[in-house]
Amino acid sequence: MTQKVVVDFGLCESNGVCMGIIPEVFQLDDQDFLHILQEEVTPQNEHQIREAVRQCPRQAISISDE
Amino acid sequence: MTKPKLKFNPVAQEYFENPYEIYKRMRDEAPIYYDEEEDFYALTRHADVAAALKDYESFSSSRGCDLGMVRTGEVPQRSIIFMDPPDHRHMRSLLNKAFTPRAIQSQRDTVVELVEHYLSKVDPDNFDVVQDFSGPFPVEVITRMAGVPEDFRQQVRHWIDTSLEREPGQIELSEKNMQANIDSAMYYYSLVQERRESPQDDMISRLIAAEIPDDEGNLRKLDDIEITGFTTLLGGAGAETVTKLVGSAVVEFARHPEQWQMLLDDRSKVPDAVEELLRYVGPVQYNVRYTLKEAHLPSGTVPAHKPVFLMKAAANRDPRAFDNAETFDITRDKAQSQNLGLGYGIHSCLGAALARLETTIALEHLLDFMPRYEVNFAGLQRVTMQNVAGYHNVPVRVLK
Repeated sequence: MTQKVVVDFGLCESNGVCMGIIPEVFQLDDQDFLHILQEEVTPQNEHQIREAVRQCPRQAISISDE
Repeated sequence: MTKPKLKFNPVAQEYFENPYEIYKRMRDEAPIYYDEEEDFYALTRHADVAAALKDYESFSSSRGCDLGMVRTGEVPQRSIIFMDPPDHRHMRSLLNKAFTPRAIQSQRDTVVELVEHYLSKVDPDNFDVVQDFSGPFPVEVITRMAGVPEDFRQQVRHWIDTSLEREPGQIELSEKNMQANIDSAMYYYSLVQERRESPQDDMISRLIAAEIPDDEGNLRKLDDIEITGFTTLLGGAGAETVTKLVGSAVVEFARHPEQWQMLLDDRSKVPDAVEELLRYVGPVQYNVRYTLKEAHLPSGTVPAHKPVFLMKAAANRDPRAFDNAETFDITRDKAQSQNLGLGYGIHSCLGAALARLETTIALEHLLDFMPRYEVNFAGLQRVTMQNVAGYHNVPVRVLK
């Protein structure tokens, strides 16, 4: 079972908190659009992704099982 | 010996003077506080407040956000803070692009110019940080963004202050509060009509041009009353909050001069100081919600159809969420728990990036202007207002 990062773009307001925590996964472009550079949750990035989930002021990020 | 019965009165003089005392007792003794007399609930622990802010399906904003409003049971005027999804999402998406951290950088020069302007006019030997500085500058920034002509920008601040003012014991709006609301609404209404005639590069004009989906999914324009409501809210939320945060900052740094010195030594710590100020003395004490159904929280259950105070300022000092929660410490680990100073979830502060930018610039300039200063503590005067706390007067003398 793999886990993936999911962003609700209806909630995201480009605050960039996630990018501050783990820029390898979350990137805001110069149009303020959020890109997920690596959607798979790995043992290496899991801790920081969970931190981004928790700290997103909009609660726009989640982790889904598939 | 038993302690006096725990009683939270949001309009008591003792509460206005020191809200944090009662928060501690509520967190420890009654995390799901129920007030029999006034028939409301209040949440004070971080885990409960954060959970309630997330759960907008149980904790509705549609009845209003203060006790007086929620209790009337009437549907308030259409304003974004009194909306649940999907209406809330439509309204919010109209303006959020103007408030992203990147977009708000375009306001930097304006903020610097205003901060410098107001500081240049004060008497270093005796001035009032709130009245002479942190009151006048933020309202200029937000009303300029909205499109209010220069002559009326300071008037907006006085309307807001009068509208939020509460006498001890007063929950419902007074005639004075209502008159200020009417005066500001009439002013904005006529301004909206002016902008319909001749649009400018401002938010009111953008709202006039915008379209949102109606209940059937057809696009519709906003009417004058909706735009008036939105602009009123922007002026209020975008002005008096930073006013209070900067006023409280000067007081806290006077109490903790070693932390002011840390900023003098290393300006890169200013943004962390702003976060800690938002946690420790954030102006917004609470917002009220109305339960549409029975709500389940880490500390228990709140029944349906009740007003509930979500006490962010209490949650921000919850020792269950923050180490040494009652200690002001600009070096603390920001990641330990979510700071609720700017809210959380769908109604989190639209102007968060602007608030941070303004407060950061204000502190940077104050560091230059008054590397050493003293506050006349005897002259401190707190505001007595609905849902926000802070100082009305902070008398300061710059030390040579």
